[in-house]
Amino acid sequence: MTRRKHLKPWIFGLIAGLLFVGAEALFGIYPPSAYAFCLACHVRDLMNTVLGLLDGARFQTSMIAKRALLLTSPGVLLGAFLAARVFREHRVLPARRGWAYFLLGFAVMTVGIVIFGCPTRIALRAGYGEVYGLSALLGLGLGTACGTLILRLRFRRSTDG
Amino acid sequence: MAEPLLLSLVFLLIGALIGFLAQRSRMCFVAGLRDYLLVRDTELLLGLFSFLATVWVASSLLYAVGLLRQGMPEYGELELRRALDGGVVFRLGWNRLLAPRALGTAQEAVPVAAVLNRFLAASAVGGWLLGLLSVAAGGCVLRQHVLCAQGNRNALLFVLGFYAAVPVYYLALSRLFSWVYQ
Repeated sequence: MTRRKHLKPWIFGLIAGLLFVGAEALFGIYPPSAYAFCLACHVRDLMNTVLGLLDGARFQTSMIAKRALLLTSPGVLLGAFLAARVFREHRVLPARRGWAYFLLGFAVMTVGIVIFGCPTRIALRAGYGEVYGLSALLGLGLGTACGTLILRLRFRRSTDG
Repeated sequence: MAEPLLLSLVFLLIGALIGFLAQRSRMCFVAGLRDYLLVRDTELLLGLFSFLATVWVASSLLYAVGLLRQGMPEYGELELRRALDGGVVFRLGWNRLLAPRALGTAQEAVPVAAVLNRFLAASAVGGWLLGLLSVAAGGCVLRQHVLCAQGNRNALLFVLGFYAAVPVYYLALSRLFSWVYQ
């Protein structure tokens, strides 16, 4: 097996930033603003567009979702699958405590719907200088720090005993 | 009907490109800080910083030449509009640095009090929760999508839960959170 070089994350950040801002300007992805990429909001809009066909009133979508299907999340899955196949990194790892991951995904989406963003869009909105995005990014950092602290404590306990 | 098709394709392609690059770079918007705190590894954190810096500069430049518009509600209808009209503002000082008034951008000053509302607090608390949950799951939503596509069944279940939450939220949970927008 050949070892291929990985892309540096800072280059990813550069490309992704230019792509999201550029796509918004080029294709008029508006309103809302800073909406070229979001996994939580786009999945919500995609699901609600489909569910709205059954019962329109209950399922809100953003304005842009009335003009297109927001296929970002299936796109990410497709792109990552292609990359994993091309570079031979596709490995099936069986689920362990899968229900916990299901619940985590459920909880993350619920929070994401309430505050309009997955971590990626929170960073995107913060980069735009949006006040709520900055507030959420600050929270995200603190939450990550708390989570890391818990990880550390649990790791220490498991090595002590 | 060409426009909806084109725009849908644009979203699919943006997703595919980001998915491809994220798989190659193992990018995660949460793991950067986690790795730094755990083992002082700055690689992913640099990814986050370069993303923030790029978006800041690019959006400021495009505002300056009038290619981006700003200050809009998340939704076109419902009560959220009222709540967020004074809210989703892209007018924090620093865009002005690169977008002087002479260039004709529509940046109006917003009183600080208009921004200090429940949604600001909810954003911080929600962000905190997202950070905590993402560390517990081992990566942000983007990373979970990538892992799912690589064959990780835990991540697959994460993504399934992620999709399943949408109808449940709108059928059962949305009332619980309506106070956030008042």
